[in-house]
Amino acid sequence: MEAVAEHIQEELNVQTVFTIPAFGGIPVAESTVVTWIIMAVLIVLAIILTRGFTTRNISKRQAAMEVIVTKLLGLVEGMVGEEGMAYVPYLTTVLLYIGISNIIGIFGFKSPTKDLNVTLALAIMSIVLVQIAGIRAKGIKGWLHSFLEPIAIVTPFNILDLITRPLSLCMRLFGNVLGAFVIMKLIEQVLPVVLPAVFSLYFDLFDGLLQAYVFVFLTSLYIKEAIE
Amino acid sequence: MNSLIAVGAGIAVLGALGAGIGIGIATGKAVEAVARQPEADGKIMKNLILGCALAEATAIYGFVIAIMIIMFFK
Repeated sequence: MEAVAEHIQEELNVQTVFTIPAFGGIPVAESTVVTWIIMAVLIVLAIILTRGFTTRNISKRQAAMEVIVTKLLGLVEGMVGEEGMAYVPYLTTVLLYIGISNIIGIFGFKSPTKDLNVTLALAIMSIVLVQIAGIRAKGIKGWLHSFLEPIAIVTPFNILDLITRPLSLCMRLFGNVLGAFVIMKLIEQVLPVVLPAVFSLYFDLFDGLLQAYVFVFLTSLYIKEAIE
Repeated sequence: MNSLIAVGAGIAVLGALGAGIGIGIATGKAVEAVARQPEADGKIMKNLILGCALAEATAIYGFVIAIMIIMFFK
């Protein structure tokens, strides 16, 4: 039991892989490096899979890619609504990134989303985007006025929302990934064969993808509310 | 001291109780709704997932706090 506790603790600590020797040394965490790997994989896949696209006599690869992209964009568009079309590409990218980083643990990498800093950054990006969407849709005046709605008494709660929303987004993603990880480690301790594979399907694949969906769903819900 | 930390972490995880009840009620109502209107199951499913994610958050907070208690008071 001691060994498990130590192993979990070791996995929880964010290790610095290397330090960039500039501005007095910038530490680069493991989650950043794994994020770079995910970025590289996504970019290379995007370049390879979209090569030689034509408008006539499309190849099977192009047809498959078109279906995947249309489905993903349609999924996000259904959440954010017609008016929020401008935010669909960003939300889809976040969906892909969180989805991949949640399930990358299967391939032996450390999930970037298991690092609180990563989920916090994602949540802050989301809430900034929501506010920008509100300003773009209503103008500065309308955006400021939206804090007074529905009645002036709730203004403190509306301002409090600016803090609690990213906090809950961040903690939900982090807690779920961490919880799944700890439970998987404990299951591996009980029985290291067969059993972890079954539970891994639920905790790593299903829960990871579901949390990516929930994160994007909530962000698009906030955007929809802000631009109404 | 160690045993008290364990008790504290256990109490923090009691927050999962609320999430369990909440998700149970939500799922029950969703099943009722689908039984009444099977054609609306897509929309119901979407709302159910959202509601479950929100309800589940309380359990997750409890879990995160329990982990923090164990890690910081060690």
